[in-house]
Amino acid sequence: MKTSRRKFLQWSGIGALGAVVFSGCGIPEKELLVQSPALIPEDLVSGLEAWYATSCGQCAVGEGIIVRVIEGRAIKIEGNPDHPISRGKSSAQCQAGLQALYNPQRLAAPMKLRGARGSGDYEEISWEAALSEVAELLKGQAPASVVLLTEPLRGSLGMVARTFMEAYGGQHLGYEALEQTTLRVALKQVFGADQLPDFDIDHADFVLSFGSDFLSSWLSPVRFNRGYGEFRQGGNTRGALVQVESRFSMTAANADRWVYVRPGREGEVALSVAYVLLAEHSERLDPAAANILTRGRGAAALEAFRPEAVAASTGVSEEQIKELAKALAEHQRPLVIGGGSAGAGTNGLSNLEAIYALDSLLGVLGKSGGVLFSPGAPVDGLPAAPKVGSFADWQALADRMRGGGVKVALVHGANPVYGLPADLGFGDALGRAEVVVSFSSFMDETTALADYILPDHVYLEAWGDDIPEPGPGYQVVTFQQPVVKPLVNTAAFADSLLGLARRIGGKVDQAFPKTWATMKDVLRDTARKLQAQGRGSVQAASFDAFWNTVLQRGGWWDVNRKGATPGLSPIRLPASPVEPQFAGPGAGGFYLVPFASHSLGDGKGANLPWLQATPDPVTTATWQTWVEINSRPAEAMGIKVGDELEISSPRGVLRALAYPHPGVSPEVVCIPTGQGHTHYGDYEVGPDLYRIRVARDRGANVLSVVAPSQVDGTGALAWASTRVSVRKTGAFYRLPRLEGPVFADFRAVEEHVPLSTA
Amino acid sequence: MVSTPRERKWQMVVDMDRCTGCQACVVACQVENNIPINSESHYQQGRAMQWIRIERYWEGEFPNVKARFIPFLCQQCNNAPCEPVCPVFATYHNNEGLNVQVYNRCVGTRFCANNCPYHARSFNFWEPVWPEAMRNQLNPDVTVRSRGIMEKCTFCIQRIRRAELDAKREGREVRDGDFQPACAQACPTSALVFGDSKDPASRVNEAAKSSRRFRLREELGTEPNVIYLSKVDPEARGAAGHA
Repeated sequence: MKTSRRKFLQWSGIGALGAVVFSGCGIPEKELLVQSPALIPEDLVSGLEAWYATSCGQCAVGEGIIVRVIEGRAIKIEGNPDHPISRGKSSAQCQAGLQALYNPQRLAAPMKLRGARGSGDYEEISWEAALSEVAELLKGQAPASVVLLTEPLRGSLGMVARTFMEAYGGQHLGYEALEQTTLRVALKQVFGADQLPDFDIDHADFVLSFGSDFLSSWLSPVRFNRGYGEFRQGGNTRGALVQVESRFSMTAANADRWVYVRPGREGEVALSVAYVLLAEHSERLDPAAANILTRGRGAAALEAFRPEAVAASTGVSEEQIKELAKALAEHQRPLVIGGGSAGAGTNGLSNLEAIYALDSLLGVLGKSGGVLFSPGAPVDGLPAAPKVGSFADWQALADRMRGGGVKVALVHGANPVYGLPADLGFGDALGRAEVVVSFSSFMDETTALADYILPDHVYLEAWGDDIPEPGPGYQVVTFQQPVVKPLVNTAAFADSLLGLARRIGGKVDQAFPKTWATMKDVLRDTARKLQAQGRGSVQAASFDAFWNTVLQRGGWWDVNRKGATPGLSPIRLPASPVEPQFAGPGAGGFYLVPFASHSLGDGKGANLPWLQATPDPVTTATWQTWVEINSRPAEAMGIKVGDELEISSPRGVLRALAYPHPGVSPEVVCIPTGQGHTHYGDYEVGPDLYRIRVARDRGANVLSVVAPSQVDGTGALAWASTRVSVRKTGAFYRLPRLEGPVFADFRAVEEHVPLSTA
Repeated sequence: MVSTPRERKWQMVVDMDRCTGCQACVVACQVENNIPINSESHYQQGRAMQWIRIERYWEGEFPNVKARFIPFLCQQCNNAPCEPVCPVFATYHNNEGLNVQVYNRCVGTRFCANNCPYHARSFNFWEPVWPEAMRNQLNPDVTVRSRGIMEKCTFCIQRIRRAELDAKREGREVRDGDFQPACAQACPTSALVFGDSKDPASRVNEAAKSSRRFRLREELGTEPNVIYLSKVDPEARGAAGHA
């Protein structure tokens, strides 16, 4: 065997490790040995790592994650490779969860208000005192005057909260930050299914998406991104994507073609596409669906939506509409998706109905590459679909509060004071309640009004389970286990509820089994019921084996228990366009298209520096609220990047920084959600010279200018039905963003291969 | 005698037709590698520290407008322009094809960053600081770099080392897929594929065979070990012919 000099040196270095580590300083060749830290373990301290599977609490989906823990500290989050939704993948939000756990602004102990409400003057009390005092409060109230406001709750926690409020007698209202009420209603009308279904992008070969920014923020972005990768390059043919949307979103940026449509006109485009399909490609359609949707009249029923008739109002050309219809007809596995801004005009429901009617017409329900439905929960009594209040419900609640009808408000996981349009005045209304009890882990706008704070664990410290929505088309229960010990003196929300129930006594206490002392007991009960089914991914003879395996795998699923495809619902397509209504200036104004921030979401992520510092994909902007405006009107108004703009609607005014770019329609301005907090994220980060607050008093909340209009027929907030005027204030702030002229020359290197050669 | 493992050369394939610009890789990298929190000033002064970043650029104007995303990371060049200019040998080439930075040799001349045609290097202009509680999250496998130090993507060398040690302990070769860098592991579209190019059966070798393959600024002769697969655009204007 021939030994090279390099090999010889490597071997001698490794062999010399034990004794000569400190004596070799004088030999020049020894220097070469440092060349590979990969092979020289002398300075390597490889700590023992443990990985725990649990559930992600950063967004509403219920993805499985695994967490790397070293010496009791959570170090890294990854997607759970076994989990049906994440399949080992994750998003920026999933990754940033550790900063929620190790957040300096966590509420560290139960507290009671000492000063005036809103003063932030609290005294620490014991858990015993906190639970007893709140229980006494609840005992002395008429149950009807108590409300429980939570995030949408599913799984065992949903069961506990529901049992508690049903036994006690008060109202339980779910707050969905990025409200999907209209989507739920539309899907129920068109498909007859009371759930958010899965869209099997993976296996589609043509996706037509209306307004749904599914690669960024819509429903289940990790799952859809995973599908998108396969859709593009996973199979033999490359899938094509067309995005019809009034904003140039991240999904539009990735689409093969982006079609600008005027806000609120998405339904007209969809019906026009349906008209062309019925008139020219009827052989491709499901005859039964076509029959029902048009009452047997075929294309004649949609005469009012001929492409030439809708081109002017929608801003989408006749040729474009015909091409879309042709593409849908010619592809083997087309799929139509709609949501986001398409469902957020006053006519949002009719828009989404029209959009999803295309799926019925094309007959893609329940098929590979189509719309897949998930079955109900595998365990009776476990809520699979959350109970969510619509915007109208929240308006009604605000009115009831103003009228003095609410004495005690219990709030968990929801921040309605920040997240409802300012015009609603929810903060003032909540202030009318006699006692507000917050179970939040962080100080936020709603918790700032609390009289008692009973802080919850962060999800990485807590037990729980979840039924992902949208599901993967079969039964899944994600299990959540604590991966670290609670860092501060917090208690799980479910444990607090169970503790309150015991102290209230009577029928509230009796509603819960005696064996349920904590959430872990509830969860073990759920696990027992799953074990008893004897099917699915985890099966075991003994409960201990089942319990351990289900925690190890991060959940339980049964790929054979698929959801049933619903039959056709007898909805009827409209005969004439449903006009969207707008509040605000007509001529001279812009359509306001708010959008969910890619990293901050509805604003929940705003207290995490990693997410604040994550560049927006389209603008590369960070840390601020910006206004997307087309470069041409911006030039005419003398607006440059970083100029402060005043955006006025009949309902309010906000100031934010301009970001003119060529991808936005000249009729539209777009503003992200997520900033404009007054209490959340109140701590500093950054180098000593440039320390900044993370979220408090940062940017503006776009909901402060959104008119509180409702989507007809659903009661959801029509957040894309405001028009605004734009004025330059003269102030300037350098917009923190990633892009810079220095990288501009790279554009030459990327090449685009036309489809024919790919 | 210690048995010598098979020769290794790490490579990455970036499929831009899968990449959606979602930033999962960017945050995953920040978390894994103890990269300082980028505050406003980092961005305002063009000093944001990202070992992997997503560049976006525009083509065309409304309504026929396109935004393109390219993930940029250290290209781990075979002929790395950053290496010969370092006066203190802080940046050098290791025998697994990695361009490595030795932090405690670096004196902060920034010659390497100046010479890097890919802007892959980040300089610590400020002492990195974290709120006390957040220091609990720092990855103990990765050094925290102080002010005045140059840093860049390492292909997550701490994960490479861990996988190699595990393999050695078990008396076997490192298997394809034993580990991935943080960016590739997070990437929801599987746009990033990482592996050993000397392993003929590795996924990265398979992916690199694509006809869409090219490397950034190949004309400079840097021979990057990051291979890009170009975006497919049926409607591309003036698309370069590509065999």
